[in-house]
Amino acid sequence: MHVLFIMVPVAFGLLCLALPWPRWQLASLVVGSLVHLGVTIRSWMTETSIEADAFFGIDPLGHLFLSLNSLLFAATCVYFVGYHRKALISQRIFLACVLGLLASLSALCMSRHLGVMWVSLEAASLAATPLIYFRLSARALEATWKFLLMNSVGIALALLGIFCIAVATQPVKPAIFLTTGDLIAQAHRLDPTWLRAGFLLALVGFGTKMGLAPLHSWKPDAYGEAPPPVAALLSGGMTLGAFLGILRVYQVCGAAGLAQWAGTWLVVFGLLSVATAAVFVVGNNDYRRIFAYTSVEHMGVMVIGVGLGLGGSYASMLHAMHNTLNKGVLFFMAGFFWRLYESNRVRDVRGALHHHPVAGVLFLGGLCATCGLPPFGMFFSELGILFAAAEKSQWWVVALFTLTLCIVFVGVMTAMLPMVFGPPPENVRSTPFGEKRWRTVTMLGSAAGLLVLALALGAYQPAFVRNALTQAAATLTLPIDSAAIVVARAAEARP
Amino acid sequence: MMSQSIIDAALILVVLLNLAMLATSRLARCVRIFAMQSLLLAALPLLLELQHTRALGLHPVAIAFGAAALKVIVIPWVLLRVLRTGEIHREVEPMIGFTASMLLGSLIVIACFAFGHRLVLPVKPQSDLLLSVSMATVLNGLLILVSRVKAITQVVGFLIVENGVFIFGLLLLEQTPVLVELGILLDLFVAVFIMGIVVYHIRREFDHMDTNLLDALKES
Amino acid sequence: MSILRAVLAVPEAIVLLALPPLLLSVIAKTKAKFSGRVGPPWLQPYFDLYKLIQKTPVYSRTTTWVFRTGPIVNLAALLTAATLIPVLSSDSLLGFSGDIILVAYLFALGRMFTVLAAMDTGSSFEGMGASREVTFGTMSEPALFLSFVVLAVATKSLQLSQMMGSGLAAEWQVAAPALVLVVGALLIVLLAETCRVPVDDPATHLELTMIHEVMALDHSGPEFAVITYAAALKFVLLGSILLHTAIPHPPSLYFLGPMLRMVELAALACLVGIIESMTARLRLNRVPMLLAGATVLSSIAVVLVLTGRMA
Repeated sequence: MHVLFIMVPVAFGLLCLALPWPRWQLASLVVGSLVHLGVTIRSWMTETSIEADAFFGIDPLGHLFLSLNSLLFAATCVYFVGYHRKALISQRIFLACVLGLLASLSALCMSRHLGVMWVSLEAASLAATPLIYFRLSARALEATWKFLLMNSVGIALALLGIFCIAVATQPVKPAIFLTTGDLIAQAHRLDPTWLRAGFLLALVGFGTKMGLAPLHSWKPDAYGEAPPPVAALLSGGMTLGAFLGILRVYQVCGAAGLAQWAGTWLVVFGLLSVATAAVFVVGNNDYRRIFAYTSVEHMGVMVIGVGLGLGGSYASMLHAMHNTLNKGVLFFMAGFFWRLYESNRVRDVRGALHHHPVAGVLFLGGLCATCGLPPFGMFFSELGILFAAAEKSQWWVVALFTLTLCIVFVGVMTAMLPMVFGPPPENVRSTPFGEKRWRTVTMLGSAAGLLVLALALGAYQPAFVRNALTQAAATLTLPIDSAAIVVARAAEARP
Repeated sequence: MMSQSIIDAALILVVLLNLAMLATSRLARCVRIFAMQSLLLAALPLLLELQHTRALGLHPVAIAFGAAALKVIVIPWVLLRVLRTGEIHREVEPMIGFTASMLLGSLIVIACFAFGHRLVLPVKPQSDLLLSVSMATVLNGLLILVSRVKAITQVVGFLIVENGVFIFGLLLLEQTPVLVELGILLDLFVAVFIMGIVVYHIRREFDHMDTNLLDALKES
Repeated sequence: MSILRAVLAVPEAIVLLALPPLLLSVIAKTKAKFSGRVGPPWLQPYFDLYKLIQKTPVYSRTTTWVFRTGPIVNLAALLTAATLIPVLSSDSLLGFSGDIILVAYLFALGRMFTVLAAMDTGSSFEGMGASREVTFGTMSEPALFLSFVVLAVATKSLQLSQMMGSGLAAEWQVAAPALVLVVGALLIVLLAETCRVPVDDPATHLELTMIHEVMALDHSGPEFAVITYAAALKFVLLGSILLHTAIPHPPSLYFLGPMLRMVELAALACLVGIIESMTARLRLNRVPMLLAGATVLSSIAVVLVLTGRMA
């Protein structure tokens, strides 16, 4: 079962490389992602269990992220068929890289060993690099260079963090593997200093990949210059992978009794991210960069949620789910507007609602979802985080969180609402592709599908979704408190 | 005792090569210094294993050969090819100057040696210098990455950061499975390969490798 | 000091005073060999000194007593340092705890008076040489001092002759990497202080490229002989410090010791000649980097030796 998740995209990727006809390549892309989605849905119906020292295994957290990835990839591949016009770099390499990205992210969600997790995240990063350079322009090249360099350095620091954690396992005899199961089981015997060092380095390293401030500077460039479906994949899928990296290390820290300390750092980085997003969103003139900064903000919110304990973790999982769906909608609509208005600038896009009502409604829905308006899910997740912070009497967190979210809301809405309302400019095209209705239908259809899902899962979550989120959150906050750790350590020290 | 001195000498030579790279302005020389440093680092697992158990197991030999093949031969070849196709051979004077950046690098080395001496490892390492040298190498690599302007030197800076992480990994020789180490090396190779391609494209697109001039993307 | 030691000191001092020009000719012969020439005769420096002493000095009207005393003070300082630095045997002629500081300041005194004498002429070339000399001296002093710190920490003594005696031989087993770095730093300091390529070309005739030679431009006759001899003596002294650090002799070699030291000095002169033949002079703005490199080497050696002690 595990192997399928990786082998399906790899097989279809190789098929993409092998087939010489562009349409067949696109077909294999779509079929591959849909098969992967099918395997994911199938996996929800069967129970799986994992041994403690296995390299691969699907635990509730990984399963949730894997399903979100799968869903987003399927929608994006359908969208891409409609969006894509002519290829500048070799199309087969591009499509193969998309499927390679899916394969490595699946491997990441399923990996239980920290080293394997690192390898798959690096593979995902490398698979994503050619995707950003799709348009072969100078700006895209610059964005690719910044993305590549910052991510590589971040990943190297994350590797150093994983090595620090390995050093922390040295007091444990006999030697344990770096699998999450083993680490959590033996967590009370790990060296705390090196575990802390490892957590900080992993937070900085994986945080660079995720786009937490102050390591976020590649994000606006990369999401602004990459083609919109790629930006959707990166912001909705790859960030989840990097988040998973942080969460695995956080699990180990939590089991070792350092949950409070680690949580403080997570909250600090999260608040910094939301504040940075607030500063840069206001007055920005490029709507894709604004989306990138909202992505930074959402990453910050997710990280704050996890740092605040059990209630916050559930809200964080809910937020992650809706982040994936919303980013899909937003970037799909950004791509549609790019085709219509041929500009990235906010000033040049006007009157979407009048010009193309369906697109305008979808974009407006995506905006409301991202900004956290009810009945969309982000409202409830952000509210949950506020409640969790209030429960712990962390009033500074409550105050800063509310303030920065308000600023982001104001910034995004003042920039984007004029895009939707008002009269359209003269030089806008009537339809993006002339007479080809099927392209418009594909693009808007995939966006609509995600938006409907976001709406449906917003105010009310069906039982199995709620279960999945609760189980995922539960793996993050294992009920071990510091007193038990001290007792366990003292018991071990006694001869 | 003799092999201990050899290991210590190799580690100090690694540190001196870092400082030499901070002082040099020729791009090809940077790549060659990196190759020399990687050769020393590839020999270290063998030396450490010899000192530890007086016999060579498969694991260190595999890592040594993998690292040597990749970082001494393949990656420098890729980078030198990119350099050969262009006309750029010298680095631009960094903002703090070559001499000052070498002195800054040596201050970093001194600080890492002093600080690394105080850090307590759970298991006594085979050489006291491993931790300090790895920290110094990572920080020097970051210094090169941050202070240099040409794209190739930034790639070499990233590779030095990876070398530093490799030295740190030598503390854990028995624990990491061989496959994971080989996976890490493979990732490194593909990363540098892609970086080489991107640098080639940068040079072709912009006619230079000056990342200072890659400033078209900013907030408007 | 024992009677035997006092008796042996006299021939040792005579040999020490006679040796420096011979090393100059070793360097010259090595360079000539590399260029495919035969080179000047072995005793040529002695003939040159003899010739110069017989000449009448010519003094410019702008100079004062400073100009005349400069070379003499330089030579006096170096001779005083020669009594403190062990050259041919592992014991110096005189010595006391803390004499490394006196040695360093004697070198500095010599340099200061040379510079003052140069500036006393009022010539712009010599002023330029003086400023270069002082700048490069500032950069090479830390390297020298830090090397002394390493030796002092390693042998736990502040007396130069004890720092380079048998205590150092034991240290080589323990702190070998640090001592190798010190040897490297001392070699660079040697090249810088005795105006050798790659820091300064002693055979250059273009004033704008000179550093040390330009300060001797206006000296003539006996004073020029004094300057030449003092430069050679400085080479012997700094070379001895280098050799005693690199190759500490066990005390069991009684009479073989001085012989071996002379051979080692000749070998060092040969090495310097090889370096001079194989490298080109550095651009003037790259010389600070070389000296900074020497400082870096010795500072890393200091850290190594200190952390090794604290382990």
